Amino acid sequence: MSDSPTSTETLVLLLTQHQEPLFRYIFSLVPREADARDILQETSLALYRKFAEYDTTRPFLPWAYRFAYLQVQKHREKSARSPLLFSEDVMDLLASERSHIEPRLDERLRLLDACLQKLTAQDQELVTSRYAMRQSAEEMMARFSLSRRTLFRNLELLRQRLHECVTHQLQAEGFA
Amino acid sequence: MNLDSLIHAEIDGEITPEQHARLEDLLRADWQARKRYLELVDQHARLLQQPTVNTGRLQSAALKRPTRRWLPALTAAAAVIVCAFILWPQHATETEATSNGVAMLSQTMDAKFTNTLRSGDTLKPGTIQLTQGLAQIEFFSGATALIEGGAEIEILSAWEARCLSGRVRVHVPPAAKGFLMHAPGMKLEDLGTEFALNVKDNTSAVHVFEGEVIAHTDTQTPASLKQGMSLSSAKVSTVTPQDFLPISELHGLVKQRDTHRFADWQQWSLTACKDPRLIAYYTFKHLEDDRWDRLVKNVTEPRHAQRDGGAVGAAWTQGRWPEKTALEFKRPGDRVRLNLDGTYQALTLACWVKVDSVDKKYNSLLLTDGYDNGEPHWQIYEDGSLMFSVMYRPAEVAKNAKYNQMYFSKPVFTADSLGRWHHLAVTYDNTSGTVIQYFDGQPVGHEISPLHQPGRDIVFGPCEIGNWGLPTQGHQFPIRNLNGAIDEFAIFSTVLNAAEISTLYNHGKPD
Repeated sequence: MSDSPTSTETLVLLLTQHQEPLFRYIFSLVPREADARDILQETSLALYRKFAEYDTTRPFLPWAYRFAYLQVQKHREKSARSPLLFSEDVMDLLASERSHIEPRLDERLRLLDACLQKLTAQDQELVTSRYAMRQSAEEMMARFSLSRRTLFRNLELLRQRLHECVTHQLQAEGFA
Repeated sequence: MNLDSLIHAEIDGEITPEQHARLEDLLRADWQARKRYLELVDQHARLLQQPTVNTGRLQSAALKRPTRRWLPALTAAAAVIVCAFILWPQHATETEATSNGVAMLSQTMDAKFTNTLRSGDTLKPGTIQLTQGLAQIEFFSGATALIEGGAEIEILSAWEARCLSGRVRVHVPPAAKGFLMHAPGMKLEDLGTEFALNVKDNTSAVHVFEGEVIAHTDTQTPASLKQGMSLSSAKVSTVTPQDFLPISELHGLVKQRDTHRFADWQQWSLTACKDPRLIAYYTFKHLEDDRWDRLVKNVTEPRHAQRDGGAVGAAWTQGRWPEKTALEFKRPGDRVRLNLDGTYQALTLACWVKVDSVDKKYNSLLLTDGYDNGEPHWQIYEDGSLMFSVMYRPAEVAKNAKYNQMYFSKPVFTADSLGRWHHLAVTYDNTSGTVIQYFDGQPVGHEISPLHQPGRDIVFGPCEIGNWGLPTQGHQFPIRNLNGAIDEFAIFSTVLNAAEISTLYNHGKPD
C-alpha cells in the first residue's frame, strides 16, 4: 500500500477537522470574510504541497497556523496598496498573542451558543438574517425598515451584548 | 468612535481608511485593546462559520419591540468603568501628613475591640471598648494605662481620660504629672505615681501602689491618697489590692505569646519551604556558625545552594519576634545579593518588611541588576504605594524610551504603618498580564498594563533585596536602598491566589 493516498486522506481529515479554527485564525488577521476564505483556500493548498514535512506526532494546528500566517503575508503583499490591511507589526502582535489566549477564546465560543439562545426574538432574527441567511445590508435594511446607520448600529449592539453575556458566564464559572 | 465601534465597523466592512488607521494605532498601543479585538473578531468568525448554530435554533418570527431597552445596561457598565478610574487614584496624598492622635496602642494581648484597632495604632480622642484581652495605651504626655477587657475608656486628650467601666492600671512618670483620670463618682489627679482603678456598676474604687494621687469626689473634700491607700465611691466598701490589675501580667503574656507565634511560624515554615513552586525562600536566620556572618540561606527543599544570598553592609537585627533575626537596611550600600537562574511564566513575590521611612523616590524590595527584558522590579514608591514593573523593550524603541510595564497599588505606607511589620506580596503572570498587589493579606492593587503582550518570559539573573544595582566603575548610582528591615522573603514561579496570600500573612503575622 502506497503512502500518498493515506497521507492525502489524513490531510483531508485534519483539514476538515480544523477548518473552523484555521478560518478563525486567518480572520483575526484579515477580518474580511471573502479575503479570509481565499486565504484559507491558499493555505489548504500550501498544506497539501508540504504535507510530507508534517510530523504526525505533533499537533496539527500550530503547524497549519504557520502556513496560514505566510499566506496572510502573501495576501498583504499582493494588496499592499489597500489602506484597510493591518501593518505587519500589528499582525505579528495579534498572531502571537492570539496563540496565548486561544484556550480562552475557545472557552468563550463554548458559552456563545447559550448566549445566542438568550437573545430577544428581534435580536435572534437579526442574527439569522445576517449570519445564517447571509443577507446583504440592502436586503436587511428593506426587511427591517432600517436606515443603513441604524442597521449597523443594531448589529454592533447585538454583538456587544453577546460578548458581554459570554464574559458574565465566564465570570460566573470563575474563569474571568 | 471608540475602540469597540471601530472593531465592529471593521468586521462589517463599514470602516473608512482613517478609522482603520485609528484602529490600528489603538491595537498597536494596548494589549487590552488587542484582547478585546481578538475576542470580538473571533465571535464574529464563529457566527460566520457556523450558520447551523443559528438556523437550527433561532428561527422565530419578528417581534416589533423597541431594540434599545438594554442600552441602560451598557450605560451602567460605562459608569462602573468611569467610577473605577475615579476611585482608584494612582497618586494620592499630596498634602503633608497630619495626625490628631493623642496616644498610641503600644501593646495588646488577645485584645478584641469593638472597632478595629491594632497594636501600634495611633489613637485619637474618643471611646475605646475592649471586649477581651489586655491592651496598653501610651498617652503622648508620657502616662501609660494598662486596660483589661471588658473595659470602656474614653480618651479625652494626651493628659486626660475617663474610665467608664473595667479595670485599669495607670503609670504616670514625673513628666506627666497632673494627668487626670475620671471615673464615676471621682476624679483622680495624679502627682506622679502608679495607681489602679476598678469601675463596676458605676462604682469606682482606686488603689495607689506608689506615689500620690489627689482624689476629688462628689461627697468629700479632695483627699490625698498615698502608697497602699484605697478609696471607693461606694458607701460600703471592702477593696483589696487583689481587686486591681497587676502590671506584670501583660508583659509576661506578651512574651509567652511571642514565643508561641515564633514557634508556630517556624513549624509552618519547615513545611512551606518544600513547596515545589518556590524559586527561592529566605528566612533570614542568622547562622551562628557562619564565620563570615554574611550568608542569607535559601532554605527551599530540595536545597538550591546556588540561590543562597549574600548580605552586604546590612546588619543583623531583631525580626518580628524577639527570637527571630532580620537584616536591617539603612546605609546606601546595604543589600542582599542573589543570583536566580531560570525563565518563568509567572511569579509571586512575598516578604515581611518593617519600613522605617519611605524617604527616597524609589525604595527597593527586590530589583534585578540593570533592567533588561523580562526583569521584574519591586519597590515602594515615594507616595507609599507598592510599585511593580517588568521591562520589555521592543527592538525598535530608542534605548532611553520608557517601555516598562508599571503597576502601582494604592498608598499603603502611611504614618500609621511605618515602623511596624507588614506583609507585602505581588503576583504577575505573563499570559493575562494581571498584577495583583497585597498588603497584610489584602489586595490593594489590581491592574493590567496597556503595554502588556502575553507570552514574554520573566527572568531574574543577578538581583538584590533591599537595594538596586552594582555600581559600575566611575559611575554614580541612584540611591534606592530600603530604610527598614526584612525578615522573610519568598519567590514563587506561579501566581498564588488571594487565599494563599492570606495564608502566608496569617502564618507570619507578629501577633
